[in-house]
Amino acid sequence: MTYCFHIFICLLLIVVQTTVMPYIPLFERFYDLLTPFVIFLSIFRSNRESLVIIFLFGFFMDIISGGPFGLYITAYVWLFIGVRWAITFLHIGDSMLLPFVVALGVLMENFIFVVTSAMFEQSTRISEVMVSTIIVQVLWAIFTGPLFLMLFNTSYRRWDRWVNEIFVRKT
Amino acid sequence: MFSKKMVLIIGVIVLIAVNVILLSVFNRRYISYYRPGRIAISLIAPFQKASTNTIRFVRDIWRHYFFVVNVAKENDNYQKALNKALEKNIQLKELRLSNSRLRNLLNFEKTITNTVLSAEVIGKDPSPWFKTVLIDKGKNDGVETGMAVVVPRGIAGQITDVSSSYSKVLLIIDHNSAVDALVQNDRARGIIKGGTEGQCLFKYVLRKHDIETGDIVVSSGLDGVFPKGLAVGYVSKVIKPKSGIFQEVTVTPYVDFEKLEEVLIVLNPKKKEFKPEK
Repeated sequence: MTYCFHIFICLLLIVVQTTVMPYIPLFERFYDLLTPFVIFLSIFRSNRESLVIIFLFGFFMDIISGGPFGLYITAYVWLFIGVRWAITFLHIGDSMLLPFVVALGVLMENFIFVVTSAMFEQSTRISEVMVSTIIVQVLWAIFTGPLFLMLFNTSYRRWDRWVNEIFVRKT
Repeated sequence: MFSKKMVLIIGVIVLIAVNVILLSVFNRRYISYYRPGRIAISLIAPFQKASTNTIRFVRDIWRHYFFVVNVAKENDNYQKALNKALEKNIQLKELRLSNSRLRNLLNFEKTITNTVLSAEVIGKDPSPWFKTVLIDKGKNDGVETGMAVVVPRGIAGQITDVSSSYSKVLLIIDHNSAVDALVQNDRARGIIKGGTEGQCLFKYVLRKHDIETGDIVVSSGLDGVFPKGLAVGYVSKVIKPKSGIFQEVTVTPYVDFEKLEEVLIVLNPKKKEFKPEK
């Protein structure tokens, strides 16, 4: 049941990102909406649950994107590893740290994208547009990232409560 | 023998190395040719199509019925007429030039197929670093990998992946795209590659050619993908370095990729199948 909810949320995020946001001028250079979701999974959900969804939707993103295959899986897995590692010495659940965690996640994803592009396309150069896109995405992440995390957290708490109630009633 | 920290560092290095190797292996293949890729596109694309259709429906209602009804309709008609006129103008110019070159030649073959299939854009690339779109026509409609995708104003891209009902188009502004093209007046040849900010780079153009800002760039047809004479864009910047054999030319595409909604797929002519004589 929880996996169905994960799949629903991820599909919704992908559809919004690829069909709605490109037509809204302000959101043209918005960050990847699955980044805060991966961070949410890394902080609040189990390893098994998170990795299944990360690989599945990393694969989906790789298929619909024009980048080299495996790029999104790579970015999400390293993001997951990074956040899991940070949890061991930082209290990331603290709301003061959340904006910076999402911003760092977006920065890390862009870093992986740029490095991979440079690896396979030797003519790739760091241009002004590239830098400005990353800055805009990081700023968006600082201001909106925590909202997404809180939204995911609240939705999942309600979902878990609802699922528990159903199972308790049945037993 | 090794401390825990050392093992961890070695583990991370090995993981990075494996990751890089896997990326470079998969980069040379199109995974979506395989079944899982096609299934993934078929799973996501219907949702994208539904979402895009809803957005367009709502937007069209707003634009055409509640807002300025007549002005919007008139504007649409003028835009279509202008696009047609521009396309015709470029084609005529191209025809005039090729006619003057070829008038002494007889029995030349018509190489461009006029069979096109219209398709709707249903989703854009999730990353700003790559420029692809998903369209609502696939293998069932006769679409194949490598087919050219055009719009009335010029070349849009090329089909890179096909599933049963949907396809992925690599736009000419993507850095992985390459189109063999030439300057319409000067006949200087080069390769159109994706640049930044929706611009293209016209690469490998020899310094000896006098290219000016505003010159029209058309497809040469030599890449075997795009029919000859289709508009690509106009020259917006020329830099002639003092050394080297090539000049740096920037081309602004005629197609507005931000507003790309409908495209035409140039279908290849049917291949003749040989039947062994009995």
